[in-house]
This record gives sequence, structure tokens and C-alpha cells, in this order.
Amino acid sequence: MNRQIRTLGIAMLVLFVALFAQLNYLQVIRADELANHPGNNRVAVRDFSRPRGEIRTADGVVIARSVPVDTPFKRLREYPEGPLFAHITGFFSFTFGSDGIERTYGAELAGRSGDVRIRQLGNVLADEPQGAHVTLSVSKAVQEAAAGSLGSRRGAVVALDPRTGAVLALQSFPTYDPNPLSAHDQKAVRAAWEGLTNAEAKPMLPRTYRERYAPGSTFKVVTAAAAIERAGELAVKDYPVLRTLDLPQTDQDLPNFGGGSCGGMLPNLLRVSCNTGFAQMGLDVGAENLAAEARDFGFGSVPPIDLPAAARSLFPEAEAFDRDVPALAKSAIGQQDVTATPLQMALVAAGVANGGVVMEPQVMAEIRDPQGRLVRSADYASWQRAMSAENAALLRDMMVGVVASGSGTRAAVPGVTVAGKTGTAQTTGDNAHAWMIAFAPAEAPTVAVAVVVESQDGLTEATGGRVAAPIAQAVLSAALSQSQP
Amino acid sequence: MTATAVAAKARRIPNPRSKEARLLLMVGLLTLGAYVLASLGRTASVPVDLMPFLVFTLGTLAVAHLVIRRLAPRASPVLLPVAAALNGLGYVFIARLDTDRAAAQATWTAIGIAAFAGTLIVVREARLLDRYRWTLALVGLGLLLLPLVPGIGYAVNGARLWVALGPLSFQPGELAKIALAAFFASYLVEKRDLLARSTRRLGPVSLPEPRAAAPILLAWGVSILVMTAQKDLGSSLLFFALFVLMLWVATERGAWLALGATLFFAGAYAAWSLFEHVQSRVRIWLDPWPVADGEGYQIVQSSYALGTGGLTGTGISLGSPQQIPAAETDFIFAAIGEELGLLGTTAILAAFLVLIGAGLGIARRAQHPLDKLLAAGLTSIVGVQTFIILGGVTRLVPLTGITLPFVSYGGSSLVANYILLALLIRISNDNGRQAAALEAQK
Repeated sequence: MNRQIRTLGIAMLVLFVALFAQLNYLQVIRADELANHPGNNRVAVRDFSRPRGEIRTADGVVIARSVPVDTPFKRLREYPEGPLFAHITGFFSFTFGSDGIERTYGAELAGRSGDVRIRQLGNVLADEPQGAHVTLSVSKAVQEAAAGSLGSRRGAVVALDPRTGAVLALQSFPTYDPNPLSAHDQKAVRAAWEGLTNAEAKPMLPRTYRERYAPGSTFKVVTAAAAIERAGELAVKDYPVLRTLDLPQTDQDLPNFGGGSCGGMLPNLLRVSCNTGFAQMGLDVGAENLAAEARDFGFGSVPPIDLPAAARSLFPEAEAFDRDVPALAKSAIGQQDVTATPLQMALVAAGVANGGVVMEPQVMAEIRDPQGRLVRSADYASWQRAMSAENAALLRDMMVGVVASGSGTRAAVPGVTVAGKTGTAQTTGDNAHAWMIAFAPAEAPTVAVAVVVESQDGLTEATGGRVAAPIAQAVLSAALSQSQP
Repeated sequence: MTATAVAAKARRIPNPRSKEARLLLMVGLLTLGAYVLASLGRTASVPVDLMPFLVFTLGTLAVAHLVIRRLAPRASPVLLPVAAALNGLGYVFIARLDTDRAAAQATWTAIGIAAFAGTLIVVREARLLDRYRWTLALVGLGLLLLPLVPGIGYAVNGARLWVALGPLSFQPGELAKIALAAFFASYLVEKRDLLARSTRRLGPVSLPEPRAAAPILLAWGVSILVMTAQKDLGSSLLFFALFVLMLWVATERGAWLALGATLFFAGAYAAWSLFEHVQSRVRIWLDPWPVADGEGYQIVQSSYALGTGGLTGTGISLGSPQQIPAAETDFIFAAIGEELGLLGTTAILAAFLVLIGAGLGIARRAQHPLDKLLAAGLTSIVGVQTFIILGGVTRLVPLTGITLPFVSYGGSSLVANYILLALLIRISNDNGRQAAALEAQK
């Protein structure tokens, strides 16, 4: 029997050598691939349980923090302000990943990015790596003004500093509470997620930078800019007073909202938001020029904001109008094929405010390691040049007229010169999105805003001025009192 | 030879027990170190129950050592330390994965050591098991089929392996394999001549006497029955492999291996075509990635764990092996691979190889055929079972759930393996005694 026992031993040895070979295959040859496989969430678990930095507002309010808890994940992500900053911070979920600042600056918050780690090298042996803290340019005061004035109407408010592109407020309603999504009981997290994603109102959609609306008459600022910048003679052309504009190539007419009559030169057309005048101006400027001007304000490009998955705003290619001239007239007044995110319209206002230069929008102001040392600060840069400084000043003065005595008087802030433009974008039937873009103080702007309120009753140009302008007013006031305390 | 000469001769042979004691001390320190590391990884502090843990570990090792010293002083000094190292490392990982189960595993370890001592006390000579041949057969079959008895038997994860008696639940199949190994050894030693005789030839293959082939067919039938009735592929495979290997060793006839392999593949094919769950196991084995979130989840998680562990592992308590379903039981090897890396898994493989080598060495040195066959059979249980589960966890072979001896969480398995170890030590002691007697006669 000894021979068999010996053979048995050799056979066992062979089997174990095969096991050893397979282990080398898994743990050495394919180790990297398996460790970093998209389905392998071990890196996520490590990040998830790592001490994570705080997210703070410009005025020092902590809006996301990690607190120690007694679960396998060790630390729970908390959002002390609940829904107020949800569309900025995003959430930090084990099952569903992250969004917002939590996503963009995930590596820094987790202490995983190179520059954070190098600073930590000295502490590696003493502690586990600490996450860095991210401070935003968003302030709670402005954010609260935006949230409070928008209230429970669906829509979005964007406020930014036109000089730098620093974002001051981003309010989107409906919103959501990121706390349940960041909890540890994954069954409850799943239930919360399904409730939110199935909700008809889409509370998790950041309308500020991921939703496009027809910009309505606020787009007339772009049309006006195209005329001033590219066809100077049109800026002084006297447009006839009309009730409707007879569109070429069709028996369609383009009426003014509410059936009124209007006309005159550019400043007056803008002040009263004259559809017939701007539609004709769009035809006069031409598809080429209008498309180029829209492009120079940022249409067609993803705004380089430091938030994930921002949407492009859309203006058709010039050739698209070759066979459809009426569409050009309608696009010139922000209808038909033009769609814009509230962020993009805020950038239009900011571009005019900043002497024609559109700055890159940015939410992060600075990142500091746990010891308070600066890791990175916002690198403000220009994004687009939309107009010359002189032409921007001309347009600014016209926009001042809108708020001083035109359709946007409700955006006026006592003691400050406000420039703006209202908008009403027809949606279905008698409903319209109410718009307002504005900036102040007109002489040296420090804040630009865009407001959209979805599906309001009443299809007149007054809708934007009635519904959206007061929100712009509240946000401008809050931001101005922040910058001049 | 004078009495002084005998004493001098005895002195030249190093006492295996002092070697064992030194090895056990090392095992104790190893376990303690791993336990402290696990706590440091989790809470960055030394475990609060360090003293109780130390007392318990060294206490159980000391008890087992003293029992061997007293009842089997000439046994191999390797078996207990290797088993204790596996048991200790397994315990550290169970404690790291599930504190409640760690307490249960500690209790079962104590019961296992008691069963180990009890076996050495009751079985004074392995050959005496011959007298209880049919009792062992009946007990083995009875235990194997016990989970099928309505009322007390129940299924976990689809496999009907469990028996509940009041508050106590256990897997009788774990004990059955030892009883059956003892029965096979005793039966085969008596019938080996009959079974070795070939009466017919089929071309180059000489076939054994048809009537003598009846037992192997019976064993095959029973294993198929167990597989279908209890849905336990692992146990039936182990049971069948054990019988074929012992038959081959006993008869010294390769034809039995060929017949066994043929029957195995026939049975496997039949099971594959009849049962969806067998087909799904094969499918997952060939390519688990398309179903990584479904039926392939466990094996994919196991691969992630092993890959993440890499060469040196994440460190104990610093990985995420809790994501692997059944990480404390069948998949504990993947948990070890994640946190101790290839170095840790290789150490486990080496430990089992040492255990198997020692077991087969005992079989080779045994004088009596029954001792020989029993030692070979018991060692085969450890080797085959280890290969089945490690091959499954590493996706070398299709996965069939079974515990990793001494390492996995599970009371029945631990107790059964300590009984198995005690039997090997008993046979080893008999070998040592005979060797010493031979030496003395010279």
C-alpha cells in the first residue's frame, strides 16, 4: 500500500501546486485589474469609511461633515442644513456614489489626491490620512435669500460674481435631503433613492445647471449684443411700431405678447421687450452673426463649472436657418430651438456686467488640509469674450433702462442701479416660464443673477417681471449686503 | 543490551513532546500577534480582552499538549501545532468578521479539544475500531441521512445538512465522514484480496470480480442520493473520493481509480443534466462576470478580495472581506487572501501540505494494514476537502460549498476535525511505540 500512499502524496502535492499557481494568477498577475475593477467597491468602502473633510460656505457654515458612528463604515456623512445646499454638496452614498461637490472634490475630501497626501506624509505613520476641507464661494445668506424668495415654486436661481465667476448661490426647487441617501442602512438608502428618482417633480435634478429651458426674452440680450457687436447700424435703426410681424416664407405672423404694439430703437425695444422689433432684428443680424454671438456667450459648450455633468445650452447652427427663416426670427426672441440652463443665462448677464468677458463659473473657493494649510485655491479665469468693453457698457445702460422704467422694475434695489432683462417663455397653452437676469451695481457689478420659475399662469411679457424679478431683487440685495457689509 | 544502554539510546531520540511544546508556543504567539494586529487595524488600540484571549489560547493548547503527553507520548509533534495554527488564524478572522460567531467558535474550539482528548482516551488503539465495524457503518449512514428526517432536519441555503435537537444544531455529515472512513478501512482491509482479484479482461483493462464491485457501486449510489436529497455537492464529492481512494490504496489496483473516475464523470454528467443548480455552478465557474451582481456575486467578490489583497494583503481588519457572502465559513480563505495577501494564502497552503504530508507519513510508517488505510483515509479527507473548497474559492474548479478544515467557522466541522486529528495522533503514537520497541530489540 505504500506505493499508493506515495502516489497519493504526489497527487495532493500536484493539486496544491495548482492552487498555488491559481493564487499567483489572482493575487499577482491579475491583482491590479481585480483591485480596480469597476464592480469592486473596496476602494469605495475605504473612502467611505475614511475621515472625510468638511464642506463649508463662504460665510463659515458647515454644510457637510463626517461624524463617527458605530457601523462598519465607521463614519456617517451629515448635511446639517438638510435640503438647502443639496444641489451644491450633492450626496455621498455607498450604493449610489456621489454627486455635486462631493463628487468633484471627492479625492480631496477623502484625502486621496496627490497634493493633499504629500502634505500628510509626515503624519502617515501617526494617523490615517485625513480629508481636506473644501470652502465654497457660495454663502448661506445669499443661498437662503434665493431659497426663501423662490419658495415652493419649481424653478432655479443662480447668483455669481461677474468679476471672477465665483458662484454665490445655486438654488433649485424642488430639492431633496441628502442625509437619507448618505445613510448606512443600504436598504433604507435604496428606498429613499427610489422615492426621489421616481418622484414626478424630479427633486434630485439640479435645475440650475442640468436643466434647459427656453430662455424667452432674456435671450434678447444676446440678440442685442449681436446687433451692437456685429451690425452696429442696427443699434441705431428705428424699428416700426407693429402689433404682429409678418414672417417670411410662411403665412405665419409673430405677435407681441398680450397683443400690444411696440417699436423704436434698440434701447426701447429692450426696455419693453418688443417681440416684433427683436424678431426683425434677428432677421437683420442674420443667422451667422446671431449663432456666433450665442457661441461667444457660451452656448454650445459645457460651462466649465466644478460640478458634475453640467448641461450645454443650445442655439442652432447658422445653416439650420437656411431653409427656415421664421425659426431665426423666433430664435432671436429666445423661443423655438433655443434652450439655456439658468447657469448659462446668469453667465450672459455676468458677461455683459464684466465688460464682455464671461468668467469660468466656480463653486470651490479654497481647499485646506486639516491643519489649516492651503492646498488649493480657486483659479479664476476667463472663459469667453462675448463683446468689447465699450459695447458691453452700451448694452448695460440699455439693461439699466429695463429695471428703471421697463418690464423689470420689480428687480430694483433701493439705492443701487440694477441692470436686467425679463423673460417669458411660452411652454404649453397659457403657461410660461418666468425669467429674469440681472446684475448690480451697474457701474461696477459684483453680482449677476438668473432666475427661472417654471410654468406660471399668464402669457404676457409682464409674467417675468411680475414673478421672477422680485426673486432677482431679493438675491441681489442679499449678495450686495454681503459684499458691502 | 543493558538497561543503561536502552536509556542512552532513548536519550538520543529527541523527545517529540518537547518539540511539540516549542511549536505550540510559537503558534500561541502567532495567534496572539494576529489577534493584536486585527484589533490595531480596527480600532488602533490593543484588544481589551488580550489577557482572557491569551489565557484561553495557551490554556487550550496546554490541555491538548498534556493530553498527548499522557496518552500518546510518541506521536508526531507536528500535527497538533499545525492544526492549532490554522484554528487560531481562522479564529482571528472570524473575530474580525463577526464578534458573535467568534464567541461561538471559541466555545466550539474548547469542545473540539475536549472531543480530541475524549477520542484519545476512548480509542486506545486504532485497530480496536475493527470490532465496531458494522456499528460504525450504521452510525455513519445514520448520521449522513439524519438531516432528511422530517422534524429535526432542516436546510440552510438550500442544502439540507442540518439537524436541530433542542437548542443545539449541527451538521451530522461532518462526523459521518470519520465513522465511514473507519468503516471503509476495516471492511477493505478484510476484503482487499477479493477486491484485488481480476477475473475478466476488456481489452487492456482487467476488470474486477463483478460481485466484489458491489460496494463501490453502493457507495456511488449513496453519494448520489446524498447529493440529490440534500443538495450537498461538496459532501457527496468528498464521500465518493474518499471511498475510491481508500479502495485503491487497499487493493493496490489502479483499475478501481479508473472505474471511480468513470463513475464520477458519469455521476457528474447526470447531475449536470438533471439539476439546474449544478448547471448554474458550472456556468458561474466558467464565466461569473456577466452575472457578477446575481448568482456569480460570491465568486466574483472572492476574486476581488484575492486581487485586492495582492502580494502582501491590506492588513488584518483593513480590508472589506465582509462583502463576500459566507466569508466566515466557506469563503474564509478569500478573506485571509484579501488581508494577508499571497503570503498569507501560501502559508495556509503550506500548513495544509505539512498536515497532509505528516498524515501520509503516518500511513506509510504504520505496520498494521488497518492503521495504514485509516490514516491514509483520514488524511485524504483533509486533503480532498481542502482542495474542493480552495479550488472553488479561487475558481480553479466549480464551487462546491464545504468548510475549510480547522479554519472555517462551524462547530460540527471543528469538532469532527479534532476527532480526526486525534485518530491520526493515536496511529502515529502506535507507530512510534513499535519503532521504539524495534529499536530496543536491536
